[in-house]
Amino acid sequence: MLSSAKHKINHSAFSVSSSSSSLPHSYSQAKNMTQVTMEEVWKDINLASLHQHRQLNIDHEPVLSNQNPNNSIFKDFLKKPLNQEPQPLPPSSSSSTLHRSLPPPPPETVLSLNPHSINTHFDESARFGCFGMKRGGQESDESRGDRRHKRMIKNRESAARSRARKQAYTNELELAISHLQKENARLKRQEEQLKMAEATQHQTKRKLQRSWTTPF
Amino acid sequence: MSLNNRDPLVVGGVIGDVLEQFTRSIDLRVTYGQREVTNGLDIRPSQILNKPRVEIGGDDLRNFYTLVMVDPDVPSPSNPHLREYLHWLVTDIPATTGTNFGNEIVSYENPRPTSGIHRIVLVLFRQLGRQTVYEPGWRPQFNTREFAALYNLGLPAAAVYFSCQRDNGCGGRRS
Repeated sequence: MLSSAKHKINHSAFSVSSSSSSLPHSYSQAKNMTQVTMEEVWKDINLASLHQHRQLNIDHEPVLSNQNPNNSIFKDFLKKPLNQEPQPLPPSSSSSTLHRSLPPPPPETVLSLNPHSINTHFDESARFGCFGMKRGGQESDESRGDRRHKRMIKNRESAARSRARKQAYTNELELAISHLQKENARLKRQEEQLKMAEATQHQTKRKLQRSWTTPF
Repeated sequence: MSLNNRDPLVVGGVIGDVLEQFTRSIDLRVTYGQREVTNGLDIRPSQILNKPRVEIGGDDLRNFYTLVMVDPDVPSPSNPHLREYLHWLVTDIPATTGTNFGNEIVSYENPRPTSGIHRIVLVLFRQLGRQTVYEPGWRPQFNTREFAALYNLGLPAAAVYFSCQRDNGCGGRRS
């Protein structure tokens, strides 16, 4: 049902010709929906992270065209050290309406979009609801950054796995070496002792006489 | 033996992804041909076509053990949504012997990873006694922890893992 709501948003925003009589209805319905959801999400946002956005906004991209507000902030997010966790949004339905099946980090994209979308017209807010390729250059910019970000995360995970693999094998080898060294030392000691025992036995052997004789 | 965080099983993620933290209580020796498996060793699929020789330690023939062999990185380590894949399951292995003396519930299927570098884990559990273990029914999405809980196997007695990737190429770009 969420996806159908999103569809309504799409259609009402971009429909060139629609004979559907329900169009105005869906428009207002969808608009209400986005307004409500925007506000809800807006409430969810930490003031701290909002402040960060504002600062980033001011510092970078002096020419902040209305066309690409989201993209620049997105890039700024990417520049920020990625190990700071985005504020965990409560898993409310409101945040989920703003993005389709996005794996992490949905919070980041939501945060970046909201400061601008609250007061803009429905058209722009509608765009946030669909990260797909609906409108040529604009959406593909967003999804391109999106995909790049995802790929970066995947690459980091892969790099971490690779390091772990290497470290695990190294540790195993070190353990094996230590074990083998100890065993080697032990065996050498044992050999020494056996040699000594054999030497003393050899000395006593020379003194051996016939101790008993067979009957025949 | 204080291994703490340097234990290869921990560093390699086997403890965590597949097993709980445990203390090894018995010797486990897995050999493919001439090659003995040590943690993290890189072995290619062409070298593990047939089941390995598995020898376990201990001293009392009346203790029985179960061996589980799984791949937690299926279909790919970056997206292991089919974790874990059951490759082999042998029960009722008497201590001091090997898998040849046990009950092969799930036959050995040689790993053939297509994408990424997989960990292949062999775990040994001590059984409470001789027990009937029912075969899971399918190999993917096996859960070693649940299996151990189901049959009251407790914590692992021993474990070892190796790395396995395709013989040639990389499997193509992941989506």
